Amino acid sequence: MTTFSLDDSSVFVIIGSGAGGGVLSRELASRGHKVVCLEAGPRLTLGDVVNDETEMFNKLTWLDRRMATGKPDPNFPVWGCKTVGGTTMHWTGACPRFEPHEMRALSTYGEMPDATLVDWPVTPEEMADWYDKAETRMGVTGTQGYPHLPPGNNYKVLEAGARKCGYTDMDTHNMAINSIDRDGRPHCRQLGFCTSGCAVGAKWSTLYTEIPAAEETGNFELRPGCMVTGLEVGEDGRIASVTYLSDGKSYTQKARAVSVAGNVVETTRLLLNNRSQRHPDGLANSSGLVGRNYMRHFTIQVMGVMPGKVHFYRQTHLAGVVRDERAHRPERGFAGGFLISTVPFTPEVLAKNMLTGGWGRDLTQVLDKYEYLAGMLLTGEDPPQLDNRITLHPEARDGYGLPVPVIHYEDHPNTIAMKDYAWKAGRRIYEAMGAEQVIEMGDYIPATHNMGTARMGEDPATSVCNPFGRTHDVANLFVSDGSLFPTAGGCNPTLTIVALAMRQAQHIDGELKAGRL
Amino acid sequence: MSVSRRGLLGRMAFGALLPGLGALAVPAHGAEAVSAELATSAALLNAMFPHDALDAGFYREMAARYLDELATRPEALAAHRAGLGVLDGSYIAPFVQLPEVIQRSMVAKVDQEPFFTAFLMRGAELVYRDQRAWDLLGYEGSSVEYGGYLDRGFDDIDWLPAAGGTQ
Ligand SMILES: Cc1cc2nc3c(=O)[nH]c(=O)nc-3n(C[C@H](O)[C@H](O)[C@H](O)COP(=O)(O)OP(=O)(O)OC[C@H]3O[C@@H](n4cnc5c(N)ncnc54)[C@H](O)[C@@H]3O)c2cc1C
Ligand code: SF4
Repeated sequence: MTTFSLDDSSVFVIIGSGAGGGVLSRELASRGHKVVCLEAGPRLTLGDVVNDETEMFNKLTWLDRRMATGKPDPNFPVWGCKTVGGTTMHWTGACPRFEPHEMRALSTYGEMPDATLVDWPVTPEEMADWYDKAETRMGVTGTQGYPHLPPGNNYKVLEAGARKCGYTDMDTHNMAINSIDRDGRPHCRQLGFCTSGCAVGAKWSTLYTEIPAAEETGNFELRPGCMVTGLEVGEDGRIASVTYLSDGKSYTQKARAVSVAGNVVETTRLLLNNRSQRHPDGLANSSGLVGRNYMRHFTIQVMGVMPGKVHFYRQTHLAGVVRDERAHRPERGFAGGFLISTVPFTPEVLAKNMLTGGWGRDLTQVLDKYEYLAGMLLTGEDPPQLDNRITLHPEARDGYGLPVPVIHYEDHPNTIAMKDYAWKAGRRIYEAMGAEQVIEMGDYIPATHNMGTARMGEDPATSVCNPFGRTHDVANLFVSDGSLFPTAGGCNPTLTIVALAMRQAQHIDGELKAGRL
Repeated sequence: MSVSRRGLLGRMAFGALLPGLGALAVPAHGAEAVSAELATSAALLNAMFPHDALDAGFYREMAARYLDELATRPEALAAHRAGLGVLDGSYIAPFVQLPEVIQRSMVAKVDQEPFFTAFLMRGAELVYRDQRAWDLLGYEGSSVEYGGYLDRGFDDIDWLPAAGGTQ
C-alpha cells in the first residue's frame, strides 16, 4: 500500500472520493502523478451492503447538520453520501448526456427574467469526445457497444403508456450498470435495491472501480475518515497545505495542488469557510459567486394503480426512460425540458412520501394496491438564479465545529410551469393504460442532483472557475464536481461530472508536465 | 403470516361490521386488560394506517414499541399523553370505542399537532418495516440471497397489450 508523508509537498490532494474525486484520482495516478485522496467517510466493502434501505441509509448518507430556507426541507435539504465512493453508492446509475441546446442555454432559451442563463464555455462538440471516454469507462448501456439492460415490468408499463400518448423515444436508458459481466464485475441481477448500494457490484461506484484502480498504480493513497476543514494559502498565493480531522485529531498535508470534489454543498462550505486577508469572502470568491446559482433539478413522481400486477420493486430503480419531453419547445409554456423515468418505492418509503398528502384510508387504499403500482420520476431543467444560494450559518456548528451550511432555494417560474406540465404528462401515461387511480406526488425528495455554486466560465468577474475547473483566483486550486455546471440541463448530472473530471485530468497532467502547476 | 386476497376480503367485511372496535376485541396478554394509554395509542395508529387484514394485536404491538421509545423522552411522552387525552375527551366514549368515521373526525382535529406527526412518521416505519405488513401488501424485500429478481419475475407482466420492441 502506497503512503505519502504529510511533508510531501509534491502530492496532488483530492478532497472527496465520489464521482468527481474518484475519477480524477485514478486519472492523475495512472498518468504517474502522486495523489492523496481525503475522504470524510469510512471505507466499506461489498459485504457491508445489504438489501435494506433503512440500514444502508444510516450507513451511507451524509447526516451532519444542514439547514435550509425556502422550498427544501429545513433540516434535510440534500441527499448525498459520506463514504468512500461518495454518492455513487446511493445513485441509480442513469447516464444521459447533456443535449447541445442545454449547453447553449442562453443562446437557445434567450434571456430569462431572474435567471443567470449562460452558454457553457466548453462546446458540445468537445464534450462529445469526453462523453465517449466516460461512457467507456463506466460501461454505460446502450452506448459504446454495451447492450441495454432487459426491460422489466415497471418500464414496460411506462413504455406502453408512453406509446399510447404518442411518444416514441424510449428504452431502458443509458445506465452505468453492467448489462454484461465486465470490468471484473457481474451483470445486474435485478435486485431492486440500487440506492442502497449495489450488493453485487453491477452498478458503477467509485468504491470498487476507480479507487482500487488508482491504488493499483502505486501512486495513490486513500485516507478514509478524514474530514478536510482547511485550505492554507502560502505567501505565493497558492494553496500550500490542506488540514483535516481524523478521529478528532488535526493533521496538515502539504500539497502541490488541490482539487475539491465534495459535492456542491461541501465544496461551497470549504471555499466559503476558508477566509483570509487575501480572500476575505472565502477562497476563490473574488466574483462573489461562490455558493450562488445553486441548482438541483425538480424531481416529482406520478404513481398509477394499474389494472394488473406490476411488482415495481423487482428491478433496477431507474429501469427505463422516455425522452420525448426533453426537447426545448417553448410552445409548452417553458424553456428546456424533462425526462420521464421509472421509480419504485418500498412500502415504508411510499407510506412516508404519501404522508404529506394525508393519513388513513386515503393512504392505505393505495398501499393495499402495492403490487399493482407503477411509478415514474420526472426530472427537469432548473434555471440558475443568483439568490438560490448556499451560505454558512453565523452561529450554528456541526459535530466538526464547522459552520452549518444553509441552503436557500426557490423554484423559478419556469420550473413551476414545467412541473405542472410534467405532472399532467405523467398522469396521461398511466391513464392511457387504464390506471384505476393516479397519484401525483410532490417535489419533496431532498436534492440528489447538486450543481452550479462555482460555475465555470472565461470571465473571472462572472464565474468562479475557468473552463477546466481551475479557480480564477488561486492557481493551484481546482473544483471537480457539479459545482462547475454553468446551467443544469434537463438530465442527471453524473456522466457529465465524470466527463469533465477526465477532461480536467488531461489538462492538469499537461500543466504538471509543463511545470506550470 | 401470509394473507391471500380471499382472506383479505373476508377480513374487510369483518372490519366493516365492527368499525374501530378491533382494538378492544382481543385483550393484549391473555386476560390482562390493555392499559388505556396503549389502547388509545394502538387505535390511533390503526386510524392512521388502517389495514383491515392487520389485526388489533399488530397495532398494539407497534404502539407498545412506540411507547417504549417514548419512555426515554419525557417531554415527547407528555405531549403524546396530552394528545391522547384530547382524543379520549369526547363526550361519547373513549376513542377506542368510537366508530371509524368519528375517530377520523377526532383525529383530523389533531393531525397538525407535533405529537401526531411524530407518531405518524415513526408509525409508518414501525408498521411498514414489519414482515407482516410486507406479506399483506405483497412486498418481497431483500432479494440478493435469491440472486435477485432476474429469474424471479422482474419482467413477468402479462396483462399489457403486445407492444413494439423496446430497443
Ligand atoms: C438516491 C440518489 C440517486 C441518484 N441517481 C443518479 C442517477 O441516476 N444519475 C446521475 O447522474 N446522478 C444520480 N445521483 C447523483 C449522483 O450521485 C451525484 O451527481 C454524484 O455522486 C456527485 O459526484 P460528486 O463527486 O460531486 O460527489 P459525491 O459522489 O457525493 O462525493 C463527494 C464525496 O466527498 C466527500 N466529502 C465532502 N466533503 C468533504 C470534506 N470536507 N473532506 C473530505 N471528504 C469530503 C463526501 O463524503 C463524499 O464521499 C443520485 C443521487 C442520489 C442521492
Ligand atoms: S438492480 Fe442491478 S444495479 Fe440495482 S442493485 Fe440490483 S444488481 Fe445492482
